[in-house]
Amino acid sequence: MHLIEHMTAITSQDTPSIGTLLRGQPEVLGEWIANWTAKRLLFCVTVIFVGAGLYGGAMGWWRAPEQGLIVAIKFPLIILLTTLGNALLNGMLAPLLGLNIGLRQSLLAILMSFTIASAILGSFSPLTAFVVWNAPPLSDSAQFSGRTYSYIQVMHVCIIAFAGTVANVRLVQLLRQFSGKIAVARRVLFAWLAGNLFLGSQLCWIFRPFIGNPYLEAAFFRPHPLQGNFYETVFMAIRRVLGGD
Amino acid sequence: MNELNPTAGPIPPAIPTPPRLTKPLALGEDPADREPISGPLVAVEAILRAPRRIMYQLRQPGSGRLITAMLLVSILCSLIYGLVVGTFSQGTQLWAAPAKIAGGLLVTALICLPSLYIFTCLSGSEAKLSEIFGLVTGLLMLMTILLIGFAPVAWLFSQSTESVVWMGVLHLIFWFISTMFGLKFLDSGFSHFKAKTSAGLYIWVMVFILVAVQMTTALRPIVGKADDFFPKQKQFFLSHWNESLNAPGKPAGQ
Repeated sequence: MHLIEHMTAITSQDTPSIGTLLRGQPEVLGEWIANWTAKRLLFCVTVIFVGAGLYGGAMGWWRAPEQGLIVAIKFPLIILLTTLGNALLNGMLAPLLGLNIGLRQSLLAILMSFTIASAILGSFSPLTAFVVWNAPPLSDSAQFSGRTYSYIQVMHVCIIAFAGTVANVRLVQLLRQFSGKIAVARRVLFAWLAGNLFLGSQLCWIFRPFIGNPYLEAAFFRPHPLQGNFYETVFMAIRRVLGGD
Repeated sequence: MNELNPTAGPIPPAIPTPPRLTKPLALGEDPADREPISGPLVAVEAILRAPRRIMYQLRQPGSGRLITAMLLVSILCSLIYGLVVGTFSQGTQLWAAPAKIAGGLLVTALICLPSLYIFTCLSGSEAKLSEIFGLVTGLLMLMTILLIGFAPVAWLFSQSTESVVWMGVLHLIFWFISTMFGLKFLDSGFSHFKAKTSAGLYIWVMVFILVAVQMTTALRPIVGKADDFFPKQKQFFLSHWNESLNAPGKPAGQ
């Protein structure tokens, strides 16, 4: 009996599955990172492309089917570009903040947390698609209302925030397993989050639009995608609100 | 069940963190400190993951090779980051920005080195000038390799904005974060010098930061464009920042 349980445990840990990731047992996830295989890497990248892709598809579908396809490609790309763009920095920050893990381990830990978020987003994509299907079409200017647009926006923010929170809770558990200290795990998580949020926001800005604009054609990029940046725009908006020029 | 499960052990098999002790171990007491540093890449890894190795090696005879290696890594990394800075304005800034950043960093370190030595001696420490110099090169190396970590983000933003102020602030933030980690290394190294007080070091840290930011003004423009390599007008950094912030700029985010 013990032998059967043992064999099942090894098999379940060796075979990549979404359940294993979502359960987030630090020992299992830690073992994944310590003994990484191409199969597991491919699994994570696939989950990101499928999960975030499906969610992106549902998001863009409201504007037009082609916008859905575009966002289905863009959303996973942003996740992977954020992971890779900050890989070096995150790998350096971890040991400097007291967590003695290597570049590969930090990259994989972050990739796994994004995989968890993507799996959650993917699971919400049918719900999102249902809401979008019930909403007045964005392309129909007669029926379109700003309030509906705001509701949909808030729904996306809530779902993405939920997925991100769960993924980061799993990540902090993993980091705690590595370091043995919750303070170190939180410090590293905060540094990684700050960096990923900073780069991720700008990548989202470059890759806009996502939901789409009823008065503009569906497109992969807006004209001049590299003109301006997210933070400047927020800063200028705050300045306008406060009565500046 | 757990006895049979081979994955139940401590994970991952990374470098173990030494147990927390009430009094830190002296350099070299931990065998890991004594591992030799054979080249620049090992030095980079050591300063990130095991800075005590660097501190120990700096106290050994023949530490000159390590210091040279760290200095070369600092110059190389600052040149690479400078190139990223230069991509904002393109043209002559592609070579001027790397030259100014690498040169400015070295001159800042050289200007501040004597005062650090004096402060260290005043603190009652028995550290030699070569050890102090080694720690400063360690500070430069850690700063510049962290700047390389920020380089992809800096490049992305440099392609997304035309605002010199925005890019200047962003580079200053990245420099500040990197410098804080570098100074943490210096502080950690200083703690092994048996100094009676750290007050001198803290004063020096202020001096170093002030000199470095003034250097960015003295060597301006590093981010924007200019006809001359060096500015014609002498300015204090606060007045330069104030002028830059109040200069009419293009509306952002359009």
